[in-house]
Amino acid sequence: MMKKTLVGLALSPVLLLGTVGCKKDAPPPPPVATAAPPATTLPAPIAVSTVTLGNAIGADKKVAVPAETFTAKDTIYASVETTGVGQARLRALWSFVKGDKTAKVDETTIELNAVAPTVNEFHVSKPSGWPAGDYRVEIFLGDAATPAATKAFKVG
Amino acid sequence: MTSEDKKKDDGMPDFSDVQSGASSTAPAASVYETYEVKAGDSLSKIAKRVYGKGASWQKIFDANKDILKDPNKIFPGQKLKIPK
Repeated sequence: MMKKTLVGLALSPVLLLGTVGCKKDAPPPPPVATAAPPATTLPAPIAVSTVTLGNAIGADKKVAVPAETFTAKDTIYASVETTGVGQARLRALWSFVKGDKTAKVDETTIELNAVAPTVNEFHVSKPSGWPAGDYRVEIFLGDAATPAATKAFKVG
Repeated sequence: MTSEDKKKDDGMPDFSDVQSGASSTAPAASVYETYEVKAGDSLSKIAKRVYGKGASWQKIFDANKDILKDPNKIFPGQKLKIPK
């Protein structure tokens, strides 16, 4: 008697499983409602948005009065605004242009880690006075071979 | 002689006395000038020109340890970072 009971107990889970497994007509379980995956928006990489030249900047590093012609004794500012976030290297290459020849005036780099749009300023001055003529400043981003922005200006 | 009169061999003006700088609203931004080494340069000569003190050569050496192993060995054409 005891032996039969034990066998019955031992078999019952198998039978139960078998019964469940054979219910072919049972409706499929309702789909589990899952929340939509959160939208993952990658932060925009840094880009140069605006370059403005002038002979003075404010505390916000922006040029108040844009100019494209300067005097020999001016300090020349290039205010460079960026959008996006992350680490970046901004390089300003100032050149004197005469016909098809160019002479490097200065090259300065800012390495920054932007967490929001930034305003950056580059400036050059020449105590002995700028030679009259045509100039340009090119703003490079990272190791790019072509400038992100170019501004031409004159002295004289 | 004005700066306009002072021209280099290629007929272009001399810009060796140009002073420059930069700054950013980004926190902890670092600024440096790129200087191309010319024949006869030494770190102390460059430091004298840039900072007004030859003794500040160590600052330039420290900023360029990735390309300079010996402060007495720099070569024409090398591009050095000059911290501002």
